[in-house]
Amino acid sequence: MLVFTRKADEAIVIGDGVEVKVLRIGRDTVRIGVTAAPHVPVHRREIYDQIRAANASAAAEPDAARALVSRLRQRASRQEPHD
Amino acid sequence: MTTDVAVHEEVVTFADGLPGFESSHRFVLVASPSLDPFTLLQGMGPDAPSFVAIDPRQVEPSFAGEAALADRARLDAAPGAPLLWLALVSAHEHAPATVNLRAPIVINPASMRGIQIVPAESPYRLDHPLG
Repeated sequence: MLVFTRKADEAIVIGDGVEVKVLRIGRDTVRIGVTAAPHVPVHRREIYDQIRAANASAAAEPDAARALVSRLRQRASRQEPHD
Repeated sequence: MTTDVAVHEEVVTFADGLPGFESSHRFVLVASPSLDPFTLLQGMGPDAPSFVAIDPRQVEPSFAGEAALADRARLDAAPGAPLLWLALVSAHEHAPATVNLRAPIVINPASMRGIQIVPAESPYRLDHPLG
């Protein structure tokens, strides 16, 4: 890991056009600004990790995915009253 | 190979993959009356994951997805161009299935590019009960 010491208003540049700037330093938090091209995704790590876990729980083998659809459709048709 | 003429399959490209599956870039979107109201996102290639997905409005009628300008840029979608929204379904061993409304899949039907939205804040749950 590259480690930098930065003061407020100082920045680092990553690659060809991503800038990470320290905007404000508080007691417990640091406010950071990221400038990147619109197609570059920038996420908060903990949120990305939550969604990664949700995706892992949703991922299935193709056959298992089809079996899940069958189960869910059967359950739905049992719940819906028929005329 | 299939005899179901109503089956609709198209390849969607996720340039960044999905969180946790960053190297899975191509998925077949499978829709057919035998799956309705669900669709399948079948990863292409060995070890690629498959997902069961559903229109978020089927689960939460008030669902209002919004693609930020940056999201639209990643999808190559002009402002206002129609987008396809899907939410991933999770099965659980001892509990009913849930739907991830917080981080929906968004597909631009014009370019067949897809992304998964990773919102900093959202009124929706990662594990919304599937009704």
